[in-house]
Amino acid sequence: MMELRGLEKSYEGNPAIQNLSLSVMDNEYLTLLGPSGSGKSTLLRLIAGLEQPDDGSIQLEGEDLDGRPAYMRNLGFVQQKYALFPHMSVFDNVAFGLRYRQEDPLQDASEVHDRVSRILELVGLLGYEERMVGQLSGGQKQRVSLARTLVCEPKICLLDEPLGALDANLRERMAIELRRIRAALKVTFLHVTGNETEALAMGDRVVVLDKGRICQVAAPEEVFSAPTSIDVAKFLNAYNLFPGRGELDGFAYSGHLLPIKCDARQAHFYGIRYDHIRIITGNDDGAGFKAKFLASEFEGARIKYLFERPDGGVFEAEMHLGEGDPITLTPNEFYEVSWDPKEVLLFDTSGELLKSNARGEVAK
Amino acid sequence: MTDINVSNPTEIKSGTQGSSLKAKIDKGRYFLLAPGVLWMVLFLIIPLAMMVYVSFWTQTTFAVNSTLTTKSWVTFFSSETYMNALFRTGRLWLTVLALTFIIGYPVALYVGQLIRSETLRTILLVTCVIPFWTSFLIRVLAWRPMLGKEGAVNIVLQKLGIINTPIEVLLFTEVSVVIGLVQIYVVFMVGPIAFMLGRIDHNLIEAARDLGASTWTIFRKIIFPLSLPGVAVGAIFVSVMVLGEFATPAALSGRKVNLLGNIIVTQVGSLKWAFAAVVGVVLTVVMALVITALLRVVNLRKEL
Repeated sequence: MMELRGLEKSYEGNPAIQNLSLSVMDNEYLTLLGPSGSGKSTLLRLIAGLEQPDDGSIQLEGEDLDGRPAYMRNLGFVQQKYALFPHMSVFDNVAFGLRYRQEDPLQDASEVHDRVSRILELVGLLGYEERMVGQLSGGQKQRVSLARTLVCEPKICLLDEPLGALDANLRERMAIELRRIRAALKVTFLHVTGNETEALAMGDRVVVLDKGRICQVAAPEEVFSAPTSIDVAKFLNAYNLFPGRGELDGFAYSGHLLPIKCDARQAHFYGIRYDHIRIITGNDDGAGFKAKFLASEFEGARIKYLFERPDGGVFEAEMHLGEGDPITLTPNEFYEVSWDPKEVLLFDTSGELLKSNARGEVAK
Repeated sequence: MTDINVSNPTEIKSGTQGSSLKAKIDKGRYFLLAPGVLWMVLFLIIPLAMMVYVSFWTQTTFAVNSTLTTKSWVTFFSSETYMNALFRTGRLWLTVLALTFIIGYPVALYVGQLIRSETLRTILLVTCVIPFWTSFLIRVLAWRPMLGKEGAVNIVLQKLGIINTPIEVLLFTEVSVVIGLVQIYVVFMVGPIAFMLGRIDHNLIEAARDLGASTWTIFRKIIFPLSLPGVAVGAIFVSVMVLGEFATPAALSGRKVNLLGNIIVTQVGSLKWAFAAVVGVVLTVVMALVITALLRVVNLRKEL
């Protein structure tokens, strides 16, 4: 539905977006994940028309949006800090776009009332029409902001870190709400976030952005299980990554030779997910080494165990309590950690995932 | 603490101790108020009460005594001269208020909204205050050589061929008083409005634009309503100062235009204390009404 082609944008010579192309589909929830400074907010502002690209084009349903001001793009933009009009009631805030847009404003008060009521019902704020903005909680403000944008029926709704300003409890509830509201309206959501859990949980597809370039566009499960580059893997915060060298019979890392299931002599990085690591006594047939236990972190349904890596870094193992009782380890003691070599991902010098990875499968 | 039902006696004891300490602190708070209250009573309440009291004293030609009478009040409200002064004060006040708003708002809009650099904004606001570095009298009197029959304005207009005979209404009329008052007080309108405009979150304007509103609609529906508290504060500043004015009208009207302030000066000068007090009370009531009305328009406590 929306096509971005070869977008370029730089600020005073510093590139913010570099040769970026992306297809956004109809009726999908797309999350844009990137660390701060990755250009994700710039991309959103380019799409919204708040900034002009230096090069490249943005097309919505085959029409070029270049040079069109924000209000003629048929896009909605939900700002991070809500940007609600403080001197207006909830109703007037939501009705603002319908009443005062330049193109085809709604004159009929009863129709405005109907549409505002319908959208307020959808976001769960029916009965709050007369409240002033100052009397609302953070979550309610977020809903008003969303309703104000959605009532104008945009083709694509852009959300800039919509959950960023909410506390953890509220964030989870609002995340579910966002998905429900989107599904009910069948509008495309483009949700920008710096939180990997949020991006994976919310998106039908996830776009991973780094240094102004797209690293990966895929379904959340695929991004999580097969990150296409070491940057993505780092950013997911779920992989132990060891630098080393691929040999004919294994991967050489800090004096250990870790077994791998295929010939991977181009490999320069070896990645294994936190939750694939087991702490064992004695030996099994997996890959692994002895490591010094440092500390554990209890995180509710799971426990993280931190070990010292042979080369001095920190190494994480994650255990879900559903799979067994937590084990008690003594700090500064050495334990055997082990994993199935089939779960290993290998990356080459430039950080790209090797096509023929350790699982012997071809990565997508 | 006391409403929690505790079974442990030591805890109950500490609870009551805590609440008596709290009561002590509560009492202590009122002592903090004392200096302020004392100041207000000494320098506001008592003088105001005195003014009302003196306004009912009996005035003879050279003396005043404390026999109570309404004679001064009757004189004020039955005299055409004084009632005219009251209406003239009202008329001039409204004219000056309107003009300072019309001239001041665009300036404030430029400084508060179009200038995004905080430093430049401060520099511009300081520039507005530069005329205050000279004395008030000089600022007022400087208008005389500007506006006179052979003054700068007339000379320039004649040289340019726009007029043949000099405009005489420019000086020693209500017009010159209005010009003088507007020039002196416009900055008090600019300041508060620019401050409020500068505080408007730019995201609001972006959001309104994104919803399709035109620049004019954004001004009408977002920027102007949000700047209203600034307008109210500016209007209060200008009103209080213009209503109490006497020097500018005296200097620029050749004593032809007399406001309530001028009458007070004259009456005090001729030792008519009771009558001056009447005018003082009237002026205070007018100002109180004006401020109340302005505060009704904008709920400052909520907006600031």
